[in-house]
Amino acid sequence: MSEDHERIDELLAGYVLLSLSGEDAAEADRILAEHVPSCGRCRATLNDLQAVSGDLALAAAPVDPPETLLPRIHRAIDEVPLAGRTPRRGALVAVAASAVALVALGGLSLVLGSRLSDAQTRAGTALEILSAMRSPGAQPVNVTPQDETPPESGMVEVSAPDVRRLYIAAEYCPEPAAGRAYQLWLGNDDGWEPVGEMFWPEDGVVLLELEVDVARYDEIWITEEAAGSPPSEPNTDGPSWFGSL
Amino acid sequence: MGEDDRHDLELHRLVSARERSAFDELYRRYARSAYGVALRVTSQDLIAQEVVQDAFLALWRAPEAFDPTRGAFRSFFLSLVHHRAVDAVRREERLRRRTERAANLEPATGEDPAEDVVEDAYLRVRRKEVRAALTTLPPAQQQVLEMAYLDGKTQARIAEELGIPIGTVKTRTLAAMRKLREALREE
Repeated sequence: MSEDHERIDELLAGYVLLSLSGEDAAEADRILAEHVPSCGRCRATLNDLQAVSGDLALAAAPVDPPETLLPRIHRAIDEVPLAGRTPRRGALVAVAASAVALVALGGLSLVLGSRLSDAQTRAGTALEILSAMRSPGAQPVNVTPQDETPPESGMVEVSAPDVRRLYIAAEYCPEPAAGRAYQLWLGNDDGWEPVGEMFWPEDGVVLLELEVDVARYDEIWITEEAAGSPPSEPNTDGPSWFGSL
Repeated sequence: MGEDDRHDLELHRLVSARERSAFDELYRRYARSAYGVALRVTSQDLIAQEVVQDAFLALWRAPEAFDPTRGAFRSFFLSLVHHRAVDAVRREERLRRRTERAANLEPATGEDPAEDVVEDAYLRVRRKEVRAALTTLPPAQQQVLEMAYLDGKTQARIAEELGIPIGTVKTRTLAAMRKLREALREE
């Protein structure tokens, strides 16, 4: 089946270079899941190609990073404790401080528990957000107001590869127009998909928790839609927020 | 496996044991190469710094992601940096398209902005080998490899930009990678 392996090699070469898209990317995913683990030849090829891909980085000229970078990395290490360890009280405080700092970076000042109408639910979601932020690979993403949307209404998305949940937090979200509500969409090369139920802010506050594998998507969009009727496509008029995952 | 690869393995083992000094040593060894490729791919210093920071944080937080049986630490880590750089540049591109804002990219950094950067001798040697291997590729193969790796473009986009079938891009890419594999194969 040399033809098959030639095709597989092409896909693996594209895969290690991150240059596949569409059907090729999907086929590579299938091959990596179904064929490569049981094929010694392909495992060796993949390892070899990945080694080449790593070394290709050396084709770029080395550049001294700013001297501030290592101290910044040290601070980030110190701020967020390692996942899998039992958090100490002090560590939890550090996590909370870190979370608030990161949320603040998104143009928000989320004060946990102070403006929540359903305190227990909201506090629970807020703690889930903190927990998600402690997961390996967790990255807060700014979901930024578009066009005429009030600039102070920025939202923050938090997710992590091993959490399979997505959280949205905002403090100054405007009320949607009468008869309308907000819908969250996740997008990839296949298009946009509505995720979760429509929502409204309470006193400007939004804290959402959605069960979804964020790794399948690369963009997030929140739009205003007619309340009650599930939309098939995002509404491009009205307020909206966008972020790249 | 060379002496330097073995030293990397030892440093990685110490990082897994939460030794900050070993982490700093790996930073000293790889930060320049990491920042160099991140800057080349993203063309934006702030994004490149974020990429390098994220990669080193990922190393600290999940050192077990590196499997020594699958290759050298150097390849693993620089691949990690490259992946994050390509992700970053594609995110930026999508956001720019979506918001229809004018591009604010700095012009691509020169090919050799800091050739006088001090780096470990073994990396300098390996860098020479990689560059020498690249020069042995036919120009058409070099071109698709550079567009994919350093510009972060998909094969579909490369085909579109070059006006050639995507099958040709795939063939050239594989041929180039095979030649590099042979030229760079380590004992």
